Formats: sequence, structure tokens, C-alpha cells
Amino acid sequence: MKLREYEAKMVVKEAGIPVPAGFLIKSADELTPHLGALGDAFVLKAQVDVGGRGKSGGILMAGKADGIKMAKELFGRQIKGLPVKEILAEQRLDIQHEYYLSITVDRSNKQPLILFTEAGGVDIEITAKEHPEAIRKVIANPLMREIPQFMLRELVGTAPKEIGSIINKLYRVFLEKDALLAEINPLVTTPRGIFAADAKLIIDDNALGRQGFTVNRDLTDREREAEKHGFSYVELNGTIGVIGNGAGLTMSTLDLIEFYGGKAANFLDVGGGAESERVMQAVRLVGSVPSVKVIVVNLLGGITKCDEVAKGIISADIPQKVIVRLAGTNEAEGRAMLSAKGYEMLDTMDQVVRKAVEVAI
Amino acid sequence: MIYGDRNSGILVQGATGKQGEFHIGLMNNYARQVGGRGVVAGVTPGKGGREVHGVPVYNTVKEAMRDYDISASVIFVPAAAAADAIMEEANAGIETIVAITEHIPVHDTMKAIAYAKMEGCAVIGPNCPGLLSPGEVKMGIMPAGLFSGGNVGVISRSGTLTYEVVDELTRAGIGQSTVIGIGGDPIIGLTFVDVLRRFEKDPQTKAVVLIGEVGGNLEEEGAKSTDLPIVSYIAGISAPPDKRMGHAGAIVEGGEGDARSKIARLKKMGVPVASRPSEIPEMVRDLFHGQC
Repeated sequence: MKLREYEAKMVVKEAGIPVPAGFLIKSADELTPHLGALGDAFVLKAQVDVGGRGKSGGILMAGKADGIKMAKELFGRQIKGLPVKEILAEQRLDIQHEYYLSITVDRSNKQPLILFTEAGGVDIEITAKEHPEAIRKVIANPLMREIPQFMLRELVGTAPKEIGSIINKLYRVFLEKDALLAEINPLVTTPRGIFAADAKLIIDDNALGRQGFTVNRDLTDREREAEKHGFSYVELNGTIGVIGNGAGLTMSTLDLIEFYGGKAANFLDVGGGAESERVMQAVRLVGSVPSVKVIVVNLLGGITKCDEVAKGIISADIPQKVIVRLAGTNEAEGRAMLSAKGYEMLDTMDQVVRKAVEVAI
Repeated sequence: MIYGDRNSGILVQGATGKQGEFHIGLMNNYARQVGGRGVVAGVTPGKGGREVHGVPVYNTVKEAMRDYDISASVIFVPAAAAADAIMEEANAGIETIVAITEHIPVHDTMKAIAYAKMEGCAVIGPNCPGLLSPGEVKMGIMPAGLFSGGNVGVISRSGTLTYEVVDELTRAGIGQSTVIGIGGDPIIGLTFVDVLRRFEKDPQTKAVVLIGEVGGNLEEEGAKSTDLPIVSYIAGISAPPDKRMGHAGAIVEGGEGDARSKIARLKKMGVPVASRPSEIPEMVRDLFHGQC
């Protein structure tokens, strides 16, 4: 789950990394008491969960005189289709230089990867393509609580030495908050010292509980409903509903729909050992998507009991056609139950998907 | 056989849980069929002295290892305790650890894998179905009925998709040497590179099917590292960016790890890539020029 900018800044501030003085407001009027502290020039930043916020009009420059007016203006905007409900009003910094700092989980090395470049402020992916030599990298050992000094020297190079201690503070945040990404871009030098002008934190979904989060805000309503039942669910924009067991097989079923010229409406992985109750909930959830014309159920595996699956499909009783491919234990019973109720069962995933595409078109 | 054979003594952690108990039964059924040792001991802290399907349960891994010759283990313990279980086994000197558990926090996995590496032990997974060498050994939860012995190795980040491919291979008369699921998490112990290195030294394995998915670039690193003939399949060509597709590790992030660019890079290395699972057997046969 991605934290909003003001939340991420609160976390890095608590870790001892300076951030610009700022206030979170929920209406333009709430700005009034902070005008004194914000000074002559400040920035209004919409707290919306989209990338490229600045380019889509989510950030406005303001001053004492026009602050309220600008805040009203920003609250009235939609940023990439999302309403602005919260704004972070922040003191403007007198920036001398911008750096980039991030800590991520490196899949190849299986360890934290720290990136630092003196060319900050811009898109790191562009720097990586155009000036890969400008990015300094070190791999840290996750069993160490601190980055050793020699690694900090390698990273910081000719940039101000104090950045070394900021890297270690961010590393502590990364470890303690179960972050998959901890990023400061830009990290800036000013006449008043070094500041994190922006901060980004992504928390591991599997650690949200121990980090004290009760809901994952990155999910849509239906995704949250699915999560309650323990399904992995992703909504797409096609007409063929998909229910599978196992992430790989379900993804592969979506791909096959595309291969045969159809469009999948969703991805739903019911997980292992699906019982009738869970299968029923899965079928109803997918059936509740208005665009779904037909549902493909593709379940394979030793421990899936086909009679349970059949019971679940039948009791879901949805208006759309359900086409089934089942392989596992009690296969004959499951088949008999489904065909008695007029459901179509096919032997392979190619067959079941081809049939569904025919029905949907 | 690349990570154990019929002589491997297996330990199961989380032996008294529902999953652990169920799969000890299935693993030992398989061991009986092939004349292997199978699961010789179980561990659940606080439940020492019990038996599960006739297998003795101990409180700690060290106690179990005093009584039995154990080289491998399979972990079914819940996510919150799974990293600790990996470290306990690495510390006790187990060579190969299969971590079935899903939803382990990434930071726990990173630490456990770093520790296991220091102790010189191999971790398969987490969030994986384990491995099966037909006729020799099953460590994990793969449905044995679909498998047949032969010369093709299979490495995959997925569970059921692997069974789908194995089923296709078996139906086409192409047997497998070892099938191994390396796990669907962003951080996993053994990667394609590590397993391919073992397959290269395995006289039985003549070709490998490499089943990948969106997220990261471990598939390309693997393909680049080996001279073994490979056929690949990558799931997730229709996966939208920034969405986790069931597996914690199956996500296209920052414009990286998408299926199309993975497939393009594999093809550029000369690796044939199937566009759907049912094409794989024919492509494997082509590698052997029909001699399989």
C-alpha cells in the first residue's frame, strides 16, 4: 500500500529527516490559521493517489495574498478523475541542489538496494536510461541495522557528507516500516540545510497488520470485498469473467482469452482447496460485475474437490452462462452434478476459453 | 534429481496443522510407491511426543535431527512464524528447505534468506509448491498423479500453472526429470539461475521448461546463464501495470517486468517462447528434433 505524501513525510520526519514545514487541510478555510507560519511563498499539493500529479495540475504555487483563493481552486479540481479532498500546504524551499535517494527490495540480489544520484528531481527511470553512470548503487545486508560508512561514502561521493546520515535514517525507516520502497525525490540542499522535499513510501501488503493498518486503501470496493473472502481479485474492462485457482493458472487463462480474441473482465484466484461456499461467493462476486456476459471457471489441482466446486457453482445461481473446466479429485461426481443442471463442462483450458469467447462475442 | 532423491530424509515443520498433516500423508504415500524414505519427522513447538500418520513429532528441529538423518524440510507454518522456521532449520544444518507458506512479509523473507545463505543452505520458495522428481522424491504439495519420469526439467514461479504444463507434457509422452516451483513472492531463495546450474550438472536433464510471469527479470537472468536448451512460457501478457496478479511478486512496476518485454528479451536470446501452455510439448519436441 502506498502512503500519501503527508503520511510518508510524517514518517521520515519522525526518523529525523527534516521536511518543509507543512499543514494538511481539508477545506480552503482551514488554511487561514497557518498563513503566518507558511510565510510569503508556499506550495499547495493535492493528496491524491495518482502518479504525475504535478503535470496534471495537482500542485499550485501560492502566497499570503492569494493562498485561500488558490486552495479553493485546487479543491475544485479533479486530478486524473479523482476529487481533491486533502491538500498539503507547505513552505517553499530555497533550493540549491536536488538529489535522488531510494531504497528498494532487489529481486536478483534478494537484498535492499540503495540508489543515490546527484541528478535528482527528475524521473529516475529517465536518468537510468540516459545517464546510468550517474546512479550510484549499493546492496545492503538485511541482517545489518545500519549501512556501513564505506558504503555511505561510495553512495554520497562528492555530495554533502550529511547525506550519509540521512541515508541511514531512511534505511531505518525502510526496515522498521516493512517498506518495499522508501524514496526521497528530491532530497534538496538549501541555505537552511538539507530537506526531503518529497517522500514516497510503499508498505508491504503482507505487513499491513503489524504496521497498524486495518485496510488497504489501494484496493477498489470489489477488490476489498474479495479480500474479505480471501480471494486475489483484479478488475479489468472486458466481458468474460475469470475464476481460477492459483495466480499463474488464472493469469494464463486471461492471456488465453486475449489469444482467442476476447477480453477478460477480471482476475479472480480462489486459492487452494476451494470449498463450495467459497466457490459460490467467487461466482456471485464475478457475476455482480455488470459487463460480465459469461464466466470461465478453470480449476486444476490434486486437492481441489470437484463435487464441492460443482455444488458452489450451482448454488451461486447467477443469470450469466458459466463454463467449467475441472480436474482433481471426485471429478466424475462433479461432472455429473453440473451436467444434470445443464452446465457446460470441457476438458482443457483451450476449449473452455474458446467457448467463452464465442459466447461473449 | 537435483535437490534430493529417495534416500533423502524429510522433516516437516508445522506437522500438526491441517495442511502439514494432510501433506505428510500424501508425501509418504508417494515415498511408499517409489521405495523412498519420505517424511521421517515432524516439528511443532509444544506438540512434541505426538504422531502424525505414524511420523513422530518433535518440539525443535535439533531434537528431530538427533534421532534421524535429515537433509531436507518442508515448511507449512503460518506466515508470522515462517521466517523463524527457515532460520531454525538453517541453523540446525538442514541442506534444502522448501517453504510452502504464503504471505510472509518481504523483510522477514529477506532476513531469513540472508541468514540461510550464511549457513550454506538452499531455500526453495517461499510461496511455492515445492519439488517433485518422478520416481524418486516429492517435497511439497504437487499432485503426483500428473507426473511421469523423463528428461525434461521444469522450473516455475507458479503452482497450478506448473501442474497444467506437467499435465500437458505427460499427456504428450514427455517425461520430467525434476519439476520445481521456486515461488511467487518478490524475494525467493533459489532463482532460475540457481536451479539451472543444478540442472546442468544433472545427467538426466536434457532440456528445461522455464515458466515465468510478470514482475522482475529473473527469467531473463536465468535464460542468459545457461547453455541447456530451454522452452519458455511467460504468464501475464494481459496483466495491467501496477496491479498485483495474485502473487505478491507478479506486478509490473515502474514500467518494468511486463510480459511483452520479457518475451522479447527471451526471444532475442534465441529461447523459443510458447504463446499458450498447450504449445509447450510440441516446442520441447522440436528441441530434441523429435527424438523424445
